[in-house]
Parts: sequence; C-alpha cells; structure tokens
Amino acid sequence: MSSPSRFTMEEVGWRPRLAPVDAETATPAQRAALDACPPAQRRSTYFLTLAHDPASLGERGALFTTVMYAPRGLPRAERELATAVVSMANGCVYCTSVHARRFAELTKQPAAMQRLLDEGPGAETDPRRRAVADYAEKLTRTPGAVSAADLAPLRAAGLDDLEVLDLTHAVAMFANANRLMQSLGDSDTPA
Amino acid sequence: MSQPPPEPVDLLEDILGIAPGSRLAALRRRRPEALRHSQGAYEELLRPADPGGISHAERAALALRVALREGEAALAARYRALLGRAGTRAETEAAEDLPGSGEAAGERLAALLHHADLVALRPGACGQADIDRLAALGLSPRDIVAVTQLVAFVPYQVRLLAGLRAMAQENPA
Repeated sequence: MSSPSRFTMEEVGWRPRLAPVDAETATPAQRAALDACPPAQRRSTYFLTLAHDPASLGERGALFTTVMYAPRGLPRAERELATAVVSMANGCVYCTSVHARRFAELTKQPAAMQRLLDEGPGAETDPRRRAVADYAEKLTRTPGAVSAADLAPLRAAGLDDLEVLDLTHAVAMFANANRLMQSLGDSDTPA
Repeated sequence: MSQPPPEPVDLLEDILGIAPGSRLAALRRRRPEALRHSQGAYEELLRPADPGGISHAERAALALRVALREGEAALAARYRALLGRAGTRAETEAAEDLPGSGEAAGERLAALLHHADLVALRPGACGQADIDRLAALGLSPRDIVAVTQLVAFVPYQVRLLAGLRAMAQENPA
C-alpha cells in the first residue's frame, strides 16, 4: 500500500463510542427498526449502535435504503461514486472505504476509484463521472452557493430530473451518514 | 388558548413553495419512500411521541443551532418557530448565541449546543470524551443517539433544500 492519501478501498474497521445494542436481547421496537435498514448491514455494529433510539433508526434506515437502492434513476454505481466523494470531502475514512469498494465492485474499475482516492475528484476524466463528483463536492462543502449553474454540467452529461434528484438525495444522505459515523465511533484504519 | 398552526404536510416543500401538482412535486413523488421518510425522520427527531430524555424544546434548539451554523435561514426560521412554541425565550437566545457558548438557558443546553456545533461543523474532531460528557450530563445511550441523529439530520435537510432550490431555479414555473 503506497497510497499518498489516507483514503482506501480496503476494509476499514469502526469502533463505536457507545456499547451497541445486543441483537439477541434487542426489544421488539429495536428489531423492527433494524429490519428497515439494508439487509446486508442490519446486524452491523453501526446499526446496532443506532438501535438505541429505534424511532429515529426506523425512519432514517428506510430513508437510507431507498436513497441507495431504489430502482431506476441514477445508476447505483454513480450513487456509490457520489457518496464516496462526499465521504472524502467530510473526511470519513470508514464511509469512503465502503462506498469506494462498492463502486469498484459494481463497475469492475478499481483503478479508476483508486485514482480518485489518491488524487481527489479533480482527477476524474470521464465527463459524466466528473460532473457527478463536482456536484457532490460542491453540495457537500457549500450548499448555500449551489445554483442552477451547478446543474448544467450534469444536464450536459445527460442526467435527467430523476437522476439529479437521486444524486441530490445521495449527497444529502451522506452529510448525515458521515456525521453519525464520525461522531459515534472511530474509523480503524488498517496499518 | 389559540390552536397551534397546522404542521405542513411536507416541511421542505412548504419551505420551498413547491405546489401540489407542480413539476418538482411530481418528481419527488417518483421517490415516494424518500419523501415519506424525510418527513418521517423529521417528525421522529423533532416531535417524537416519546421524547425520552431530550425534550421537544431541546430538540428544536439543537435543530435551530445547526440550521444557523449551516447558514440555512429558511430552515432556521421553521426551527425558531418550533422552539418558540415548545420552549422558552432563554432557550431561543441560547440556540442563537452563535459566537458564544449558549449559556442563556443553563449549562445542560449549552453543552448540548456545543455538541451540535461539533457534529455539524467538525465531526472528525469528535472523540470519546465528547460522548462521555453527554453521558455525564445524564443522557442515556438512547438520548445520545437521538441527539446525534438529530444534529446529523439537519445537514441532510440543508443539502436536499439546496439541490431542490437549484432545480426550481433551473426550471421556472
């Protein structure tokens, strides 16, 4: 590993700052809330930590699931690209690793993601991906400065209304996800 | 006593003036789950039936604080109104005391507002000591998660509003 940046698509651990809920002894409300979360992740330490407050986890978990997995609209790989870019902008090493890896799996283009991790979104040469990455970064860093002009590159790259809405949802969702992950626990970067 | 004003069906559409049947209203209804759970998360975080150890006033104060920190005036105005109904004048003063530490309504709210600032602006700087400080205030694990969910949810609303505003600008009605 000779990555010049601290971001990676290798597996990164996450250690919560609160003891997570025990899946075996979870209350019915906690179980129902976990069931609203993406199936592959609902027994993760992260979701079991959020399960302390089942009311917010149920709504937020269902929101997260539809934002990342709803059919049609923005291709899933581009949702993963956007959420990796947002996670880098927010400095969330754990979230970046998860979504960079999913992008690489979906596109079978790990080299393209590695370049982005090493050099930042400005290194992206594909016009459509670059437009997605630039919008994701600007909406993350300076939401108050975003205007219709910032959508023009997305339109030029062929994104329709549903795709722009999906992209906006994905970027907004990770303003949330990165803050939860960073404040409730620590990324455990591999040596 | 006058009745409280009715809550909007969808907070963000009400803020943006997205009219029923308009182009953006129709577009958002192509993602009905996102629409429903954005509003649902707002309800569960700001006005839960069982608020546990974090009162409705404290929740509104935290949301107001983050909206102000994010520079989202229209959203802040909604949270200010919510806090005006649920809380005291001192709580509003504390939440709006951006250069200061928000002591107007006591140490507990000041500590919660400090945590909101940290999670909103510098989440990577949050450490075990910050979580332990919340526990020392008497917050249960459920309360700590609820506070974190709430102060991390407002940045979601801010960016969804910004994106929808740009789309509305792009396609004038």
